[in-house]
Amino acid sequence: MKGTYLGELEELVLLTVGILYPEAYGVAVMDEIEKQAGRSLNISAVHAVLTRLEEKGFLKSKMSDPTEERGGRRKRIFLLTAAGKRALEEANELRTQLFNQIPKMALQFRLA
Amino acid sequence: MKISPPRWADRFLEWYCHPALLEEIQGDAYELFYRTAKVNERKAKLSFIWNVLRFFRWKNIKKRKPNQENNILHAAMLKNILTVSLRNFSRYPGHSFINVTGLAAGFTCAFLILLWVSHEYSFDQFHNDKERLYKVLTHVDANGTIQTYDVAGNNMDVSTVPEVESITRISSGNRWPHELCFRPEDEPNECIYFNGIYSNETLFSNFNFPILSGDPSPLSKPAQIAISEKMAQTLYASQNPIGKTIKIDDTREVVIASVFKDIPGQSSIQFDFALPFDILKKQWGIDDNMLAQQFFNIYLKTKSPVDTKTLSEKLNNEQVISAAYKAQKIKYEAYAFPDWHLKSKFENGRNSGGRIEYVTLFIIIGTLVMLMAVINFVNMATARAALRAKEIGIRKVTGAYRGSLIVQFMGEAFFIVFVAFVISALVTQLVLPFFNQLIGEPLTLNLLSNKMPLYLAGGLILIALMAGFYPALIISSFQPATILKGQLSNATTGSLRLRKVLMVVQLSASVGIIIFGSILYRQLDFITQTNLGFDRSNTIRLEPTFTLLKNYDAFKNDLLGNPVIESVGASDSNPLNAGGGNVGVSWQGKSPDLRVSFKTIGCFYDFPQTIGLELLEGNNFRADRQIRDSLATEVLISKKAASMMGFDNPVGEKITIGDVACEVVGVVNDFHTASLHTEIEPVILYRKQIYYVSAIYIKYQPGMAQQAQEIVNSAYKKIEPTFTMKYWFQDETFHELYKTEILASRLVLIFSIMALVIAIIGITGLATFNVMRKTKEIGIRRVFGASITEVLGVLFKEFSWVLLFAVAVSAPLAWYSSNQWLNGFAYRTAIPWWVFAVTIAGAGLLILIIIWLQGRKTIGTNPTQVLRSE
Repeated sequence: MKGTYLGELEELVLLTVGILYPEAYGVAVMDEIEKQAGRSLNISAVHAVLTRLEEKGFLKSKMSDPTEERGGRRKRIFLLTAAGKRALEEANELRTQLFNQIPKMALQFRLA
Repeated sequence: MKISPPRWADRFLEWYCHPALLEEIQGDAYELFYRTAKVNERKAKLSFIWNVLRFFRWKNIKKRKPNQENNILHAAMLKNILTVSLRNFSRYPGHSFINVTGLAAGFTCAFLILLWVSHEYSFDQFHNDKERLYKVLTHVDANGTIQTYDVAGNNMDVSTVPEVESITRISSGNRWPHELCFRPEDEPNECIYFNGIYSNETLFSNFNFPILSGDPSPLSKPAQIAISEKMAQTLYASQNPIGKTIKIDDTREVVIASVFKDIPGQSSIQFDFALPFDILKKQWGIDDNMLAQQFFNIYLKTKSPVDTKTLSEKLNNEQVISAAYKAQKIKYEAYAFPDWHLKSKFENGRNSGGRIEYVTLFIIIGTLVMLMAVINFVNMATARAALRAKEIGIRKVTGAYRGSLIVQFMGEAFFIVFVAFVISALVTQLVLPFFNQLIGEPLTLNLLSNKMPLYLAGGLILIALMAGFYPALIISSFQPATILKGQLSNATTGSLRLRKVLMVVQLSASVGIIIFGSILYRQLDFITQTNLGFDRSNTIRLEPTFTLLKNYDAFKNDLLGNPVIESVGASDSNPLNAGGGNVGVSWQGKSPDLRVSFKTIGCFYDFPQTIGLELLEGNNFRADRQIRDSLATEVLISKKAASMMGFDNPVGEKITIGDVACEVVGVVNDFHTASLHTEIEPVILYRKQIYYVSAIYIKYQPGMAQQAQEIVNSAYKKIEPTFTMKYWFQDETFHELYKTEILASRLVLIFSIMALVIAIIGITGLATFNVMRKTKEIGIRRVFGASITEVLGVLFKEFSWVLLFAVAVSAPLAWYSSNQWLNGFAYRTAIPWWVFAVTIAGAGLLILIIIWLQGRKTIGTNPTQVLRSE
């Protein structure tokens, strides 16, 4: 758990990359997040996050083949690394752990 | 129909984005664009722009890789670069030689012009406090037009003008008493002429004429003289002249009070000796009153720099200028002294340039020539780039960064420029003596003076940058893949257009200069051919001493006894340049406020015939001596004078000059009394006593100049054995009048030739390259049966457009500027159309010849050989 804190958006993007395997790239991630979480991000924001995650070592990328729809340009495909998988698992674990520690009373919201 | 995202946004993205990231970022943006465009095109475009802007993050922006610099300076690379450069140089010796020569020629021209221009600009700049020195000019309103003279009244009283610190009066001239003969100490039978001035005591304090030894203010006491180093050296060799007595005109004694440093060439005030006004009064035999009525060169020194306009106004105050002059519509103007040399031309009272026009002209020509040389270089370098394509391709493939390539090529360019620079410096040094002779000014190549090294270094760097930058840019942008595959033509088309533009500039500059030069030449021709109205050739002008004049008849008879001498006459003005103008002429029927200026020439009876004036009406002067001591009654007037005075029958009319009554005995044809810059003026010739003439004119048979001179000399020596004869040939004097124009024409001729040479070099280079590039095309054409002429025609077509453009640009410019220049002359040639036609045709022909010469070999080769190399 040392030094590898995952921001909220970062976690979201990381999860989406996992979902979109093996075709996870900028536009696809943006679309998927919009579809699943209802958040419309700007493509540049998504790119920034993807790059940051790659720098942290949670993702690795490779270039795909050229496609017509992008005028012959290649896409940069992102894939989860082992570290990324572990980060996701840890984050998930931590959340569940903490949630289970909340006493029943804190979660009561009925009128009383 | 394919919609595409906004071009400018796309280019902006391409510009700022890091190349490694560009593909994915641009790809994403494009994908989004196409997706949205299916629904709403406008929105798609807006979104694209927005995305591009949002992508503008620090991480995405290009960064310069810092480790790139290290690659350039490896020692091994340097050695390789040097070897390759030298190899290239020697592989195409013709090209390299042309390159260097062209540049060197341009540099030499620029150097020479630079030297001359800085010489001109440095006139009169050596005085301390030069911004406090002013020259007083006189404007005379003569019936509408204003005549300007560079002298002012000696009676000027500046004590009422507080800004003026001191006043210097200088009387100068070319004849006696400013031209005096001095006897050297050890050779009493020889006398040497020196020219000097008469001045007051402020001469040496107001101006920077340093006194080397003796009295620091030599003119403050009467009967003292100050002499120059040169004069001291000539008359006294190595002895100290201070304190010695010297005789003026063998009669007056003065003491040598000081020796001053030789006046530098860049001074408009020149003199070898200076005497006080006291002596002048005695020489002319006048008193203080009459001295005050003279007009001398007057200079003012103010306490601090003042505005010339205010100063001039103050000078026109009655107390300063004197009421009498003011009534005669005379006005003074104060002119900044350091500006005088270059801007001494006045038209109708307004300053209209002068020598500065020529200086500007030559600065322009120099810049043009230099520009052409640089353009040549750039053209050749870019053209040659194609030849080195393989080398560049390999360099890039093996990992050279674009920056290092640029440095390499700029370095090569720098090297060539430097070599050309050094060569031209040497050549300039060699050529300088001839150049000096040509222009009559002593220029020295002083590379280490003032800020010259700075300017030169700066110029060198600038030119190297200019010359090397564009080719380096082009060369280093070649794509290795295309080069090594051999598909070269793409890379050169862009630069081809630029090269054509540069060629146009070059050609227009050359054509323009040549046209202008030819017109200049024609005008000069015209000037020398124009009939001045009197004979100026085969005439010697002799300056007589008093003794000679006393024995005039004997002298004249002696001369006429020899068949070589045709006639002898005397007058007080040289008709080539009769200065001044007399407004005091009146006649019957003259309206009282009409102010007309006449040239009045006082002469002896034999003068009109000697100079060959044509008598139109009446008689010439009577051939007997005039005894009365005043303006004689007999006058001859020129045709223009007659019409100005409104005489139908001039012979017998009475006129007055000043307050002397005269009678017209004859009318002569009009003749020029000044350079052709000015209109012919009305002339009145009146009889004068022989003692008051200033020169004797001796006409001799054509072609006998040498003998005539000897005859006159021996006749002179009989009367004046101890004096050296002072004489001039009228022809030479005539050329002196047009010195500036002659100088200008010679210089323009030289620079036209240089411009032509450089243009030829440029055309040759381009033509060669063209031919090489089109080798295959020529081969194919030949296979299809084109004759040599047809192929030549194809090659020429490329140049024909260039030529047309160049002509379209330069012809109007040349016409306009030569028209302006010709307007400075009252008498001028017409601008003939054939000059333009010949130059253009000549240029076209030249191009054709060069193409033919260069292409001959290629065109003649067997096409199979050419095509086989595919």
